Amino acid sequence: MDPAKIKISVQLHTILQIETPEGPEKIITVELPAGSSMNDLLSALNIQLTGDQILLVLNGRTAESGAILQDGDRVNLMPAISGG
Amino acid sequence: MQVWRADAKDQTLMKETTPSSWIRLGGRGLIAQILVDEVPPTCDPMGRHNKLILAPGLLVGHMLSSCDRISFGAKSPLTGGIKESNAGGSTGLQLTHLGIKALIIENAPQTSELFVLRLNADGGSFEPASDLIGQGAYHSAEKLRSRYGPKVAIALIGPGGEMRMLSAGIQNLDKDGVPSRIAARGGLGAVMAAKGLKAIVIDSLDGKKPEIKDEKAFKDAQKKLNKAIQDHPQTEVYADFGTAAMVAMCNGFGALPTRNFSDGYFEGAESVSGEAMRPIILAREGEGDTTHACMAGCTIQCSNVYAGNDGKTIVSPIEYETIGLMGSNLSIADLDTIARFNWQLNDLGIDSIEVGAALGVAADAGVWEFGDHEAIMKLLDEIRTGSPLGRVLGNGAVVTGRTFGVRRVPAVKGQAMSAYDPRAIKGTGVTYATSPQGADHTCGLTIRAKIDHLGVEGQVDTSLAGQIKTAGYDTLGVCAMATFGFSLTQESIGELLRARYGWDVSEDILTELGRKTIDLELAFNRSAGFSSNDDRIPEWMREEPLPPHNAVFDVPDTDLDSIFQT
Repeated sequence: MDPAKIKISVQLHTILQIETPEGPEKIITVELPAGSSMNDLLSALNIQLTGDQILLVLNGRTAESGAILQDGDRVNLMPAISGG
Repeated sequence: MQVWRADAKDQTLMKETTPSSWIRLGGRGLIAQILVDEVPPTCDPMGRHNKLILAPGLLVGHMLSSCDRISFGAKSPLTGGIKESNAGGSTGLQLTHLGIKALIIENAPQTSELFVLRLNADGGSFEPASDLIGQGAYHSAEKLRSRYGPKVAIALIGPGGEMRMLSAGIQNLDKDGVPSRIAARGGLGAVMAAKGLKAIVIDSLDGKKPEIKDEKAFKDAQKKLNKAIQDHPQTEVYADFGTAAMVAMCNGFGALPTRNFSDGYFEGAESVSGEAMRPIILAREGEGDTTHACMAGCTIQCSNVYAGNDGKTIVSPIEYETIGLMGSNLSIADLDTIARFNWQLNDLGIDSIEVGAALGVAADAGVWEFGDHEAIMKLLDEIRTGSPLGRVLGNGAVVTGRTFGVRRVPAVKGQAMSAYDPRAIKGTGVTYATSPQGADHTCGLTIRAKIDHLGVEGQVDTSLAGQIKTAGYDTLGVCAMATFGFSLTQESIGELLRARYGWDVSEDILTELGRKTIDLELAFNRSAGFSSNDDRIPEWMREEPLPPHNAVFDVPDTDLDSIFQT
């Protein structure tokens, strides 16, 4: 693999799932330039939710939008909800 | 608005002027004030000195979106402390249309018979319920609706309440007349039975909406609130996926209770997630509905109707907590099965959180094997028949743990935890530990806070802010699902209260109401014998690491003890 690239596994929750003819895509792999941040990932996926509208979770922990991603990271992108 | 006081011994009902110190409270806050004023904190929860209170929140009565909740309260037979449990449906709305600020049911009946307390514009009467004894909530509600009319509101208990089980709640009709809106927590259904009541029927046909002092200002504030709710992406999530959206989210944090809280990651989560439920409901057509309102006027509509392959309703709704406690916690990865459990629990009138936790503890003890759905159904039948094993389970997680010698019991102050493992969402763990209500996510859920849920830092402050806000919302009668709308238009709370009542309230009224409520609750519990020793997460959760993060609950006791001291 190109060392200048990283691969991130992204789980998309609820309204962020990507509709395809075969059904919604929930887990995707995204290739980004090395050194990319969570913000870059959101831009690459064209996700408009910002601030407290979305929870960014990196390898199971809450992450800042500026967090730098590493090859093989697992990201959960969760439109924020507050109750169950 | 008046206080209506029903005497279970004499079977009389008195209408009273609301005392001045109660006027500016509603829902949970009013319940706390009434319990502090009138109920000896050391009393037997099942005896004549305890009182069952129904109190609509301050904003109830006008079909404001998500603002018609009813609070039930008493000293809890499960926790031994103060208890408020609230529900949607039509009970709160119709009580306000009869001008009822609070319904207080007191004293103890002279016989073991159960009755219907019927309320209408003329007052109240106790009527026979002998034909409903032992009947499930669904059948009972149907009979009551055919007797009293399809438009009445009803609060009723099922067989679990009749058997004085500590997991028994009080069921309320949704806007379609289905008795699935349960004030579930703390054993209030058992208290209702101890007051000699199978059901409370509220007929507000000849009643009227509570007065609004400034109609225009009220409408303006209502519009602002509706817009805030509708514009927020959270509304779309709730409408499409319901609270089941939380399954994948909690699993993603490694906090989804799995096999009696022994794991935070459930390998079958995908198949019981909101993302899985929606296409199932849509594909089956028939009676299923992904977007359903429990209260008239709700613009969020997070509820659902879950139908089987034949298109016929299995249950309405399926909620996250039930999926967590009766699904992943029991290693059940099938929504149809969970839906069937849910119907049984509703019909029995018992709390799916408490019983799900009890079943998890029982599986740890070897009573049955995780994942065996037929065994669970048989155990639910044991609860229905009131067998010794069924009664143990129906009395909740702590009784089950003690009976079978299991230490891994997920409970605080005698009440089972909801579907967020406190080792992986530590702020919610702080809430479980310190809330006067016992372990209860609805008292201050922190999962959406932007903090590291696995760290210690910031958990106490986050929990405190959540606890105060939710106590405020519970006093207003606002559903947890609408609080994000209010958080975007904070000023609308004051605007609505000023418009409805003509009161001069500050911009910080939510915090004032929440803090006052919690202070009253803490005072009641202290007098009932609670101390900081009761504000603890069980010791095993401080020592047994929770996969996948191998987290333990490590917020220091001193931090827990400082939470309400500011």
